[in-house]
Amino acid sequence: MSDTTDTRERFTGHGAEWRDSDLSSTEARVATAWVEQRVDRRSLLTDKDRVADVRDAMWELERDGEIVVHRVADEHEPVTVKTLYGWDKRVPTQQLWHHKSCGQCGNIPGYPASLLWLMNKMDIRYLDETDQTSCTAWNYHGSGIGNLESLAAVFLRNFHQAYVSAQAEGRPAGYYYPLVHCGTSFGNYKEVREFLIHSPELREKVKKILGKLGRLVDGKLLIPEEIVHYSEWVHVMRERIREHQVIDCSQVRATIHPACHVYKMVPQDAIYDDDILEGNRVAVSTGIMQALGTQVIDYKTWYDCCGFGFRHIISEREFTRSFAIDRKVRVAVEDARADVMIGHDTGCITTLDKNQWIGKAVGKDYSLPILADVQFAALVCGAHPFKIVQSHWHASAVEDLMEKLGIDWRQAKVEFEAYLEDIKQGAPENLYDPRRRITSGPGFKKLETSA
Amino acid sequence: MSHATASRVQHVIGDPLSEAPARPREELEAIFGDIQADLRYDMELNGCLNCGICTATCPAAHYYDFSPREIVQLLWTENLEGIYDAMQEKIWACAQCYTCAARCPFGNSPGGLVMLMREAAIKHGMESAKNVLRPFSRVMLKLISTGNQLAPNMITPDHFADWGPNISKVDAPLKLLRKAIPMPTLNTTETAWEVNLKTSIELYTIWEMTGVLDQLEGIDENLFDVITDIMDEKREDYDDWLEDQEDDDEDD
Repeated sequence: MSDTTDTRERFTGHGAEWRDSDLSSTEARVATAWVEQRVDRRSLLTDKDRVADVRDAMWELERDGEIVVHRVADEHEPVTVKTLYGWDKRVPTQQLWHHKSCGQCGNIPGYPASLLWLMNKMDIRYLDETDQTSCTAWNYHGSGIGNLESLAAVFLRNFHQAYVSAQAEGRPAGYYYPLVHCGTSFGNYKEVREFLIHSPELREKVKKILGKLGRLVDGKLLIPEEIVHYSEWVHVMRERIREHQVIDCSQVRATIHPACHVYKMVPQDAIYDDDILEGNRVAVSTGIMQALGTQVIDYKTWYDCCGFGFRHIISEREFTRSFAIDRKVRVAVEDARADVMIGHDTGCITTLDKNQWIGKAVGKDYSLPILADVQFAALVCGAHPFKIVQSHWHASAVEDLMEKLGIDWRQAKVEFEAYLEDIKQGAPENLYDPRRRITSGPGFKKLETSA
Repeated sequence: MSHATASRVQHVIGDPLSEAPARPREELEAIFGDIQADLRYDMELNGCLNCGICTATCPAAHYYDFSPREIVQLLWTENLEGIYDAMQEKIWACAQCYTCAARCPFGNSPGGLVMLMREAAIKHGMESAKNVLRPFSRVMLKLISTGNQLAPNMITPDHFADWGPNISKVDAPLKLLRKAIPMPTLNTTETAWEVNLKTSIELYTIWEMTGVLDQLEGIDENLFDVITDIMDEKREDYDDWLEDQEDDDEDD
């Protein structure tokens, strides 16, 4: 035990009363295991004094004539699920407006393409258009450039566009319901919605901006009843997706990396299911992987972030790659003996996928395939690995996974390269009529019939 | 004490044994006042028992001299000198994962409070903010002038050498690879998706009306000039298009 005569230089930020525990290595292992069994359980998120469902205040504001709520209506064919505290959340499954992700579209395009491909298979009506901005939250969380007012105005602007977009196709406002692809957009929008609902001052400020943009409804701010992430759509559609499965994946050991901004930001809105990992883990992604028949393996750093860092991924990747490799990839490979790590957010997939190669420099060559849940689902439902899943943008060893699934990726690559030759002059294959992508402004032409 | 062995705290704030602080009290109060004035402050700081659950779970605390518990304590105790010191470097270590916020029994959001401090660092033109944000200029230019944070042509081996040779495993020009994505909005190289001209102007209007462009000017005046030039041109193009529409309507 240390005593007051100990003169070794040491960090003393714990306070003068701090003493080393001097546990033996065995005792330290037992103590650590005890902590690990308890710290990443659901109860740690629910142990709060005050929790309120912001939607109660939202309905009150609408009753008072302050706002208009974009409802999840019957035409959106919602499925009701339970969230962290057992509250209901209604997830729309039909007539969806794709709120795209900067990182997915810029860097992992097979991510949204797989989602749209699955929707086509299930006759889901949707709109993917050019009238959408970034949510700007990646930039904000990385740099601090931006503020609550700008984040709120962007949120309301994009969701207003989702609300009115169908009018370009001769359909009523509210026809399409926004489906947010990016986890950070999803978390940011939910957080901003809470601040908007609780602050008359913020509402007043952004109302001026939205008014100038012509984006009020009956002179009021439009607020969505639910903010919905694509992984929630995948989750509630998992049994229907399974009906299209053509590849057995029961031999695949999958680890899940859940995204912080999906379930730690406004955690009370994240979906939990007592039948999925005993309700201790957010249900999305695990749900679809179990439905498809993979073996989902729990692991000790499940709760950790990926290391993206928002700023770090751009300008300080030493942190990003160290965290990604040491805390996530290594554990998945060595402890869980995983064949793949599945994510449901842009930054996580990028971080875990792209930052493995540099590990070779220090002998950390783990070679773990990284995919989004929806890419994996599309693959086992028969999507082309290159044309749809766009696996060539993944730096990690996704080919190893495809081989395990019995997919001849070499042949698929030859087909894709031939396809590239074909489209040098000709038109590419698309998942929807390209004319639908412009709904107003330059280039807009009203279509006589809508798809 | 010799200056050569002065600590970072002494360098930034002044010698704690000296009667005359290097930073005037008014400046420290103004910075804290801005942090405190944000409407999120009272919602994200509710008290603190120093339990440290936030730091125990913090990814940045693994690798940096950073502790969310310390950030909360500095704000809760209104330690103005400590707040100023943390804004020099520590606040930029936070990975913004919000694990701390999810777990705090008091419902504090240390990650959210860090954002208020970052905003204040920018508003007060702190050198730390300028230094940290210098590599961000390419992203900022893209975001503010197009409405996309990231573009396919930004991800090159020159900028991401550490990502290795497999940024694309099919050897073909970027433009052709993008054309082969079966979503028409994604057949782009300079933006992640095709953004309507009207849309990017609407976003720019939001930047203007919320003071974000003022923030940017304070941090990087050259970048501000470049962006305003680009956006002036875009607005002219859009005005021309609107005029053409009016002419067409009259012809009809």
